[in-house]
Amino acid sequence: MSEGSETGFDRSIYDRFPTKGRRPKGELEQLREIWCGPKGWQWITAINNNFVGVYYVGAAMLFFVLAGVLALVMRAQLALPLNGVLPQETYNQVFTMHGTVMMFLFAVPAVEALGVLLLPQMLGARDLPFPRLSAYAFWAYLIGGLAFFCSLFFGLAPDGGWFMYPPLTSTTYSPGINADFWLLGIGFIEISAIAGAIEIIVGVLKTRAPGMSLDKLPIFAWAMLVFAGMIIIAFPSVILATTLLELERALNWPFFDATRGGDPMLWQHLFWFFGHPEVYIIFLPAAGAMSTMIPAVARTPLVGHWMVVLAFLATGFISFGVWAHHMFTTGLPGASVGVFSAASMAVSLPAGVQVFAWIATVASGKMRFNTPGLFVLGSLLIFVMGGLTGVMAAMVPFDWQAHDTYFIVAHLHYVLIGGMVFPLFAAIYYWTPMVSSRPLSERLGRWTFWLMFAGMHLAFLPMHLSGLMGMPRRVWTYAPGRDLELPNLISTVGAFLFAAGVLIWIIDMVRNFRPFGSDAGNVYDGPGLEWLPAELYSVRSIPVVKSLYPLWDQKTLARDVEAGRYFLPGAPTGGRETLVTSPVQAEPQHLLPMPKPSGWHVWAAVFTAGFFLLLTVQAYAASIVSAVLATYCVIRWCWFLDHPLPQKEVDVGAGLMLKTYASGPSSTGWWAMVITLVVAGMVLAMSVFSYVFLWSRSQASWSAPIGAETLAVAAMNLVAVLCAWLASRVLAKPPRLTVMLTVAAGALVAGAWWIDLKTWQGAGLSPDLNAQGAIVHAMAAWQGFFVAVGAIMAVYVVLRWLFGYVGPDRPATIQLVGLFHAYVAAQGLVTLGVPRLFAAVPA
Amino acid sequence: MTTRAADESFKGWPPPVLDPAGPFAAPLNTLTWGLLAMAALVMVVVLVALAFALFAPRPWRKRLGGEKLIWIAGLGFPVVVLSVLLVWGLSLTNKLSERPQPGDLRVRVTGEMWWWRVAYLDAAGREVLQDANEIHVPVGRTVAIELESTDVIHSFWVPRLAGKLDMIPGRRNILRIQADKAGTYSGQCAEYCGGAHALMAFVVIAHAPEDYARWRARAERPALAQPSTGAVVFEKSGCGACHTIRGTSANGVAGPDLTHVGSRHTLGAGILPNNAGTMSGWIADSQAIKPGNRMPAYPVLSGQDLRAMSAYLESLK
Amino acid sequence: MASAAVIGLAGLVACAEKPPHRTISGADPKQGLALIESQGCGACHQIPGVAWPRGEVGGSLAGFADRALIAGRHPNQPEVLVRWLRDPPALSPDTAMPATTLTDAQARDVAAYLLTLHDD
Repeated sequence: MSEGSETGFDRSIYDRFPTKGRRPKGELEQLREIWCGPKGWQWITAINNNFVGVYYVGAAMLFFVLAGVLALVMRAQLALPLNGVLPQETYNQVFTMHGTVMMFLFAVPAVEALGVLLLPQMLGARDLPFPRLSAYAFWAYLIGGLAFFCSLFFGLAPDGGWFMYPPLTSTTYSPGINADFWLLGIGFIEISAIAGAIEIIVGVLKTRAPGMSLDKLPIFAWAMLVFAGMIIIAFPSVILATTLLELERALNWPFFDATRGGDPMLWQHLFWFFGHPEVYIIFLPAAGAMSTMIPAVARTPLVGHWMVVLAFLATGFISFGVWAHHMFTTGLPGASVGVFSAASMAVSLPAGVQVFAWIATVASGKMRFNTPGLFVLGSLLIFVMGGLTGVMAAMVPFDWQAHDTYFIVAHLHYVLIGGMVFPLFAAIYYWTPMVSSRPLSERLGRWTFWLMFAGMHLAFLPMHLSGLMGMPRRVWTYAPGRDLELPNLISTVGAFLFAAGVLIWIIDMVRNFRPFGSDAGNVYDGPGLEWLPAELYSVRSIPVVKSLYPLWDQKTLARDVEAGRYFLPGAPTGGRETLVTSPVQAEPQHLLPMPKPSGWHVWAAVFTAGFFLLLTVQAYAASIVSAVLATYCVIRWCWFLDHPLPQKEVDVGAGLMLKTYASGPSSTGWWAMVITLVVAGMVLAMSVFSYVFLWSRSQASWSAPIGAETLAVAAMNLVAVLCAWLASRVLAKPPRLTVMLTVAAGALVAGAWWIDLKTWQGAGLSPDLNAQGAIVHAMAAWQGFFVAVGAIMAVYVVLRWLFGYVGPDRPATIQLVGLFHAYVAAQGLVTLGVPRLFAAVPA
Repeated sequence: MTTRAADESFKGWPPPVLDPAGPFAAPLNTLTWGLLAMAALVMVVVLVALAFALFAPRPWRKRLGGEKLIWIAGLGFPVVVLSVLLVWGLSLTNKLSERPQPGDLRVRVTGEMWWWRVAYLDAAGREVLQDANEIHVPVGRTVAIELESTDVIHSFWVPRLAGKLDMIPGRRNILRIQADKAGTYSGQCAEYCGGAHALMAFVVIAHAPEDYARWRARAERPALAQPSTGAVVFEKSGCGACHTIRGTSANGVAGPDLTHVGSRHTLGAGILPNNAGTMSGWIADSQAIKPGNRMPAYPVLSGQDLRAMSAYLESLK
Repeated sequence: MASAAVIGLAGLVACAEKPPHRTISGADPKQGLALIESQGCGACHQIPGVAWPRGEVGGSLAGFADRALIAGRHPNQPEVLVRWLRDPPALSPDTAMPATTLTDAQARDVAAYLLTLHDD
């Protein structure tokens, strides 16, 4: 037992490394063999982050280019007043797609992709803990995203603007399936983003190299951790919002229809509760990349490392209190306006801390003006300008003028291009040598930078003025004679200049980007573990980390790692595996066996995308078939999980024996399940908010049936929790008992759900009658979905029992299913209680 | 469309936000300049700090390159600047969002896809007069505009008179405006409302008080119903199903009230000059002018009928 | 509709024999274009040089200078055109084009602009 240890791990074991002596023959070859890349068409089945990360970044950049082309088309239309490049209805689709694709298909996936690509390397892991989940998320995103984008070619693209305000997007005013493409397409892509976030949280907390305690956690990993946490909190809100609007469109349930007690403002609250944090969700990873690259390029540690970490956390926290600053012109009450205005200004403080931390770092080192260096400096300037106009817009009275004008268009592009696009390009130039056998060209990189930098200002600086000159955003044209011609023409020239920069970058990529082979090495002299010599298996051995900048501080580290003198120099279980460490001190806990490539997650992604797309085009039967197939693929994929290895313990290096099986809070699966349930809980919380919001707006007082059924439902849910808890407690008994308890828990929550729903219907509440009917049924639908998933899980447990896969040696599946059932029961209690609570008090 | 009847009101220069014409816009102008000055100041601070960090001699850079810089410039300086701004902003917010006073003139403006329904109310809130796409106000008097919508969300914005405020179905927002000089002030929809959002404009016309009284007296009269071919064509073509002309059988409410359409400054919601020619063009094929608007094209009218009808409408002063 | 056909026919005629280049002394085509825009002639006509509106009711005026006839009926001569622009119904009682409020000098400016509109 060592002092201050988190898990009771003896830290003196670290002193055994680097080990002495030669490694056994064949060890490296075996490692290569195990982690070898898929051949030919099998590249689709790849699940290693070295592949999926590159695919993921590539797909995000593809969407960046596609949405950028849409921007050029718009700028061509706006180059002259009353120009005829695009008819009005096409323009309205194009600007909606530009915003939507940039936000949902480029910005969030791009930073998530960067995380998937870089984190395992930076953390010293062989891979992130759920490589198949990453691959699933990637394929779902690519297929769904491409199908979504193609709607443009059929005139079916949504045209309600990227924030899709109802009632404009209701069936009355948007009767086609265009809006459904947005709601189902984006709702589905959010799920992929959440899957990625779970991967990143668990990866950062559980798969770090031994010794990499939180104070030695790379700044980029901090940013990704906060980023992923924010996704978990923010995205459920937009999932709920899109679900409600789709329910209103498809089934006529009035959540946002003011004529039946709904309120269009509910959408705005739900959307912006997601939408504003979204901006920081995009910004934080990019800021983390900035804080990684600036020290490397200036060759000095980041000044104020802890202040920057705290700034991340503060940003994450405050950003959830600023959503209503998108609603200053909706007539919100004065007091709440004041709070949101103050919070909106406060959120610029952490940004100020970061900016000056970067400047201080530049001052304390010596800046190199290479391509990444130019991009980080450009980013800093552009971002500060965007931040300043942001402070302006946070001033409520100024926002009354600026809101929904080109001033805001200018502001948001300064923030996003300065805060995300430029850092991303810096990152691409900086980290390409890590994944490609050739670095990108410095000469072309400079051209790219200067064209993008000049084009950016030329395009967006005049927009501040055209906004103050009265040009509203989202207009397909403007009238001549209002002096708007010149600023718009300049903007168009700037946009094309920017595009020329991107084109040169594409040429550079085509000429020099050669991934999946050897890498170009540490050409910028970076200090992080990602610059250790690596192959597809990641590093040859996982080092003990003793500093924040290991490659600068431990001069022999690269050599020793490459010689296999640290953890896991080989593959002791004979398969893919990585170390699981504790969340705070990163003490080794157990070995995590990892999956090999297989097609099930790809098929699962294909059918999940198919389900949503077929639903959009109203091919209901086919979509159900697709859903069933997707479920089957997921079950097949899960079937491989939770199989204990023959070796219970293996030597992971220097004689340290670790278990190869884990369950409960030390296991990655447990963390993933808990985070998933937090997501579900957030959706529930937002639907409770929606209930209370609509209730407080309702003119007629709402009532709720209370009687014997209410007690029965509550009791059944409580008993279900008990069953779920007992199921994993009695594993040592004959497995039949465990299986019966699991099935009982699933059946009880289902029964409780059914009784509650029938009670409401018995009380005469129908979903299309009024807002209460709609929201009660929406909550019931949400609970019903969980009941169904819980039932599938119960069936899955029964199947595993039939195959003899249930027993005390493998408690993980039973525990996780139990956790899920307990959550569903708790959710049943909330959906039971909230309407009763807020019905009793007159509104 | 470089020039129009209400030409002088549609200039983009000087920028209308920076060219206020009343007490509800003037403080916003001051605030905008103050904020621009703040932004310039901070930008200079950042640029100077960055220039020093990049190019200053080593000892200078060493002094800059510590956590002190973050505390002072990254945290302390913004806290001071933001606190000042916040106090200014919030006090201005309170001042400008005062409730309507009893002496305010009451006007209700309803956003429609894609035009503006205007109703002048008496002190008790009863509707006295219906009009569309232009708002007449007396100089020097505060007008409380009740903003509503029955279809989608629109936003009412006359930058020279006040900031914008949304029109939301199921809610009523009140925006106060006041013009200190006679003149026309352009306004437009600022919240994307689908199809023809870009062409959803209007004008506010401020009159000297006595001119306003004259306008009001004339506007409240029903149309001068002279029997004319145009009136007959109007009636036979079924225009009255959507439009009202007070004093005639036309009493539709789906489209703008046309009782005094001949005296309007614009046609098509602030986009066309108003004369017999544009009126004919609008009636015959408004879709070519403002794609997607709710008025169908009427290509079946003969040339004479079309001329007669537009002459009739133009006579409704 | 018939008038559109006639206009089309007039176009064919115009190809057959190109009328001579016509100008109007003392009139300013530039001023004419400004008037066309301020009057909103585009509400019915597509007129080269006018971006919007581009109405379709009255037919396009592209290549007007090369046409032999005004509205398919009257000889395309400057003085006839000026009269037409001020009061079309006086010349063609069944035309849809209403009388305008243009003064004689203004009508001459507009006519001067229209007579600059050649086919190429």
